[in-house]
Amino acid sequence: MEILINSASCIKNNNVIFDNLNIVLGESDIWLITGPNGCGKTTLMRALCGIQNLESGSILMDKIDIQNPKSRLKEKIIYIGHKNSLIDNLTVKENLEYLCAFDSTVELNNKNIIKEAMIYFDILKYQNYMVSDLSEGNKKKTSLARLFASKKKLWILDEPLNNLDIKSIELFLNLIVSHQKNGGISISSSHYNFLKHKENIKYLEMSN
Amino acid sequence: MNISKIANLKFFYTNTNTLTVYLSLFTFLLFVIGIYWGLFIAPEDYLQGNSYRIIYFHVPAAWLSLQTYIIMAVTGFIALVWKIKIMEIASIQCAPLGALFTLIALITGMLWGKPTWGTYWVWDARLTSELILLFLYIGVMVLYSSISDKRQAAKLTSILAIIGLINIPIIHYSVEWWNTLHQGPTVTKFEKPSAHITMLIPLLYMFVVFNIYFLTVLIKRIRLGIYIREKNSKWMKEYHDV
Amino acid sequence: MISLLLKKELVLYYRNLNNIFLPLIFFFLIISIFPLVLGPEKNLFDKIIPGVIWITAILTTLLTSNNFFKDDFNSGVIDTYLTSEVSIELVLFLRIICCWTFTCLPIIFFVPVVSILFDISFYNSIIILTTLIIGTPTLICAAIFGSALTLGLSKNNMLLPVIIIPFYIPVLIFSASAIESVTSGLPYEMQIYLLLAFLVFVLPIMPYLLKYTLRISINN
Repeated sequence: MEILINSASCIKNNNVIFDNLNIVLGESDIWLITGPNGCGKTTLMRALCGIQNLESGSILMDKIDIQNPKSRLKEKIIYIGHKNSLIDNLTVKENLEYLCAFDSTVELNNKNIIKEAMIYFDILKYQNYMVSDLSEGNKKKTSLARLFASKKKLWILDEPLNNLDIKSIELFLNLIVSHQKNGGISISSSHYNFLKHKENIKYLEMSN
Repeated sequence: MNISKIANLKFFYTNTNTLTVYLSLFTFLLFVIGIYWGLFIAPEDYLQGNSYRIIYFHVPAAWLSLQTYIIMAVTGFIALVWKIKIMEIASIQCAPLGALFTLIALITGMLWGKPTWGTYWVWDARLTSELILLFLYIGVMVLYSSISDKRQAAKLTSILAIIGLINIPIIHYSVEWWNTLHQGPTVTKFEKPSAHITMLIPLLYMFVVFNIYFLTVLIKRIRLGIYIREKNSKWMKEYHDV
Repeated sequence: MISLLLKKELVLYYRNLNNIFLPLIFFFLIISIFPLVLGPEKNLFDKIIPGVIWITAILTTLLTSNNFFKDDFNSGVIDTYLTSEVSIELVLFLRIICCWTFTCLPIIFFVPVVSILFDISFYNSIIILTTLIIGTPTLICAAIFGSALTLGLSKNNMLLPVIIIPFYIPVLIFSASAIESVTSGLPYEMQIYLLLAFLVFVLPIMPYLLKYTLRISINN
């Protein structure tokens, strides 16, 4: 699977967010997008998901434009934005079940898959807590727990490390690396380089 | 692709400058002729005397208010499907214009009602439909002004305009039906006069004049829309410096 | 899949019973203040009660559907909906049905109480119920469409009613006239059929229209 971003540019509200961006995402790539606030990291990620329109240029998955339904983009991506996409009045367990229902690669018939995801991120003890009662870090862990259960190939993660403690960052890193070993692609954005002691990382530095 | 879309706007803007001047003069002249024709040349009505003459403003304004909505919805549709920028601008600029026509139709209708029927307003099918049309226009304008990203605003108002267009016949039919239910068999007061040809021709003439007015104002407003959208771009600054 | 979606809706309403309770109370409150303002004469009320019930139904549906997408938008769940390969039309359709079931159906169940308050005959109550059952889903669909249009805008609470009420007018006219026709002994079938036609036309296209509108609204 290969994603080509060809001369992509995006304009919002008469401001040029990014211009003439060219990247190739290949299998087993781990990408890290860094840059100052407002340089367009979130916009780029949303454009990759297909929910942000490009002003010019195109994004191709396996040579098919992602806006074309034939590209079957959504079957291959999982997007976790920097808003956690959790429903406040549901418990952690219910949230995970609901969110995983939108991911056809999660084997929901396996009753334990959600439980294992919660154990991995150490939030099992919160499984019956309302999400609105959790701390921001635990909310982030809940939202990232979907990645454990998912078998999607392309992970698009916007600021995944926000609010996480050191132990959780380690857990997340291990997840990314094992995803890479399985041939998956991940692209994350962050304010600082949390992958600096890992090898084979591809970087994209964006500027204003 | 990108260049040709901007060139559309630039082409339109730079080439319509003198056109709008001539069109404005032409429209003004046509209006003067029309007003003279309607006020003095057309014959007196058998029943209503001279007070019927206001239909020369009322009826074309009403026709044009509906026509503008259709144009607004159609240009909005083109803007959504083919993503042509100038159609986005044209679509939203139709809205205040259409609201103006609707307002003229309503106010002239009220002024006609007073001498003919004795009251300013009556809830008959035509006036009520016009009022609802005014609310539809206001909805579009208010939605557009509430959204800060103007291109997103243009798309959402296009959707609203298209849905509104589908609803207009339904609303019109239901209001007429409601009116016949409650009115009974009395003759509606604001029937178009049954056509003596010397009264009908100025009416059609005024319809054409209103259309030309619509065209003039729309072109000017599209220029304004282009200016607002492109005022920080290079070609606009160069154009205004020269 | 469907069971999970339904489970989430049911659990959310169960945890927040106010969402069911408040529209019902609001409905009764508004209906109750009409006699206070207009005087309790029975003759007057016989004539205006269909209109009163319907205007109150309109206000209730507008106010409850205002926030249909707002929570999802603020928490980012809409991004998940739109980047998932699962058919979002199905999700939206189920949500619309659940919204109607939990906000309008309680009102419909309590219409007999309104009949008692205003001394409406049994036959007339049946027709009021019928028009409400057929008409309110269309109203909910229109209000939800409006909520999708005004998604990112938290400041203007009045924007949704101003945009959407013109679209309510056909449903309003035919429902009120159906009730009046029954009261005067005139035929009412045409109005009911038209209301059914509106519903049958609007409900299937609503998920597709909403998906299209949501895609544009979140492109912010």
